[in-house]
Amino acid sequence: MANSKTLGESLRRHGVTRRGFLKFCSATASLMALPPTMVPAIAAALERAKRPSVIWLSFQECTGCTESLTRSHAPTVESLIFDHVSLDYHHTLQVASGEAAEAAREAAMHENQGGYLLVVDGSIPLADPGYSTIAGISNVDMLRETAAGAAAIIAVGTCAAFGGLPKADPNPTGAVPVSEIIRDKPIVNVSGCPPIPVVITGVLAHFLTFGALPELDRYGRPMVFYGQSIHDRCYRRPFYDKGLFAETFDDEGARKGWCLYKMGCKGPMTYNACATAKWNNGTGWPVEAGHGCLGCSEPDFWDAGGFYNALSIPTSDVTGTVVTGAVAGAALGAAAALLNRGTQGEAREKHATVTVDDLEKGV
Amino acid sequence: MSQATIEKGINAFKEQIDAPVAAFFSSCVSCGMCAEACLFYTETGDPKYTPIHKLEPLRRVWEQEYTLTGKIKKLFGLTEAVTDRMLSEWQELLYDSCTMCARCSMVCPVGNDIAYMVRKAREGMVASGNAPEGVRMASTRAVRIGSPMGVKLTSLQAQIRHIEADTGLTIPIDVEGAEYMALLSSMEIMNFPEYIGGLAKIFAHAGISWTLCSTAFEATNSGIQIGSSDIARELVQRVVDGAERLKVRAVISPECGHAYTAIRWEGPNLVGRRFTFKVIHILELLDQLRASGRIRTEGLERECMTFHDPCSLVRKGGVIESPRNLMNMVTENFVELEEHGKWGWCCGGGGGVSSNEEAAGLRHKAFRRKKEQLEASGADALVTACANCRLVMEEGFEGYRVEMPILGLTELVADHLVTEEGSGEPPEKR
Repeated sequence: MANSKTLGESLRRHGVTRRGFLKFCSATASLMALPPTMVPAIAAALERAKRPSVIWLSFQECTGCTESLTRSHAPTVESLIFDHVSLDYHHTLQVASGEAAEAAREAAMHENQGGYLLVVDGSIPLADPGYSTIAGISNVDMLRETAAGAAAIIAVGTCAAFGGLPKADPNPTGAVPVSEIIRDKPIVNVSGCPPIPVVITGVLAHFLTFGALPELDRYGRPMVFYGQSIHDRCYRRPFYDKGLFAETFDDEGARKGWCLYKMGCKGPMTYNACATAKWNNGTGWPVEAGHGCLGCSEPDFWDAGGFYNALSIPTSDVTGTVVTGAVAGAALGAAAALLNRGTQGEAREKHATVTVDDLEKGV
Repeated sequence: MSQATIEKGINAFKEQIDAPVAAFFSSCVSCGMCAEACLFYTETGDPKYTPIHKLEPLRRVWEQEYTLTGKIKKLFGLTEAVTDRMLSEWQELLYDSCTMCARCSMVCPVGNDIAYMVRKAREGMVASGNAPEGVRMASTRAVRIGSPMGVKLTSLQAQIRHIEADTGLTIPIDVEGAEYMALLSSMEIMNFPEYIGGLAKIFAHAGISWTLCSTAFEATNSGIQIGSSDIARELVQRVVDGAERLKVRAVISPECGHAYTAIRWEGPNLVGRRFTFKVIHILELLDQLRASGRIRTEGLERECMTFHDPCSLVRKGGVIESPRNLMNMVTENFVELEEHGKWGWCCGGGGGVSSNEEAAGLRHKAFRRKKEQLEASGADALVTACANCRLVMEEGFEGYRVEMPILGLTELVADHLVTEEGSGEPPEKR
């Protein structure tokens, strides 16, 4: 499986032109907010890079993340790069099974000790290791063993990054994310349920080019993809600013494409690149399809209230409350002003004119 | 002889708290931006000099007397009363470390006019006898003798004789019906008489009738500095009486910052009616004369010169462009300080600080800001338009061993007037 071909050779063998390759490098540079001067460096580094050995471990997960990455339509350069990393171990994709599969993992670990990338999807159960085992090895043991020789870990999907669905209340399996078990390796959280494919390839390209991981936010996610909220980048944002909201999925507002905030869109608290990178080869994304954001790239999104509950919204008769409040406030204000005017008036009456004879304190 | 008491002080605070003050205190978000705007904080790094903190006594009286929560707290003894001891502790904060330069008012993100409140808080300090001795003495001299520095009419007359001999021009006194009545600050009379000579030259050049007033030649108003409207009113009234007696069209405020505040902005409010005359600052007048071509200058100063903005005149008074126009009229190498105009840094001696001996050490520290600003400008000479700033900066230069000449803008303009044959004769009007 692992061979010594460079990435450049591999890509050319699959008919990727030099022009296509450079376009990918420019796109990667701009995507990752790197200066244009970095494009040749990225190209050169990727060209020469050995196909990195990647071990992919799947724990408590639904394979949705793998589906997201592999089923993404016609092969693009990024999917080819992904295809042509030396994916030495992956449950869903590998041909080998049984002992041969585990032998492949051990061989890859041995050959690339300290240099391979470990990709993890799924959360790890700690309540009872028996909840999820592979080849008789508990998830937590396999993670610890495989992580020991990894250069870095990419936690793909919200389960691996933050615990995800398995960790949702009441968390019967005691599920935890990778970062709660492994503390001595660099970890990149590529959250999302599932995450955007280009984010994975972007992180890989960055690692291959610079030999280091990109800048991360406080949740360990690459800033370039998770630096801005869905809300701030949403094409429906102008409607929010104007106060135009869809109230149901089939009303006038929904047809006109107004803001989905009142129908529970979690865009304002969700940080991800969906609004700009989009899905399905740029075809669209949830909000464009008419449904609010679920907030799937945020920690504990399953427990963040109902998907169709607005983040915060007045529940009572707003106009009536405001009018009553205003009248009561004005009355209180007038009373307070009257009272305070009295206090000030009294003080004025008591004023004794200050002359230069009154400047010293009495003894 | 009546006495200042804490009760009078608290009463004065209560009297001074008006709607703006209440709005300001309720709006403060404690962001601390005013600290960075205050040179007493930036040069000492001591957080007690944070401008809004200087107002704590006033704020406490506001809370206790004018807010519901404050009244409840007071009822249950959860808030400390403002005591004479607290006020004497705050003397340093409200006088020594505040020139009322209003730079803090400019930066406040919620628009609190902190300098306005300091001015008001000082009313309570005066009524409770907590004004610093130096400032009290200045006020006493201003009321009893007619000038905070104790300058009498006879001293002015003596100076006038010297100036008349030097310039060959007459300095008119008590000329009824003159167009302008010029006011002077004591510092100009005693330290910078060249200002008076400059005025005489300029008016002769422009063919303008003017006069001094024997009963109201003093422009400075110690009442504004100490923070007593009663004293300030008495001093403003003298000027109003003098101007109305001489039936002048306008009164000229001299190169003195707070004098302009006193007569131009606080004056009519203090006497409670509109003036029958206009008030104009000498720089505004010179700029008008420049624009209308009534004064013509020749030659430009070669040296690199910069301008120090007197806070009361520029930031608080709005006379921002006039000094720049005049500087460009007489200098060829005018450089601005990095922060200038309405963002200028105070000399550190305004608002009564320069007459307060106890503040001398702090004032010296605070002056470092101005000194560094001037050094960074690369200027060879400094021009300003306030006798107090000028004296404070001269002393500051002395303390820091800086050698830089300081000039008054009016005298600089006067030095460059076009002299025509038969000097002393007014040139023909255009």
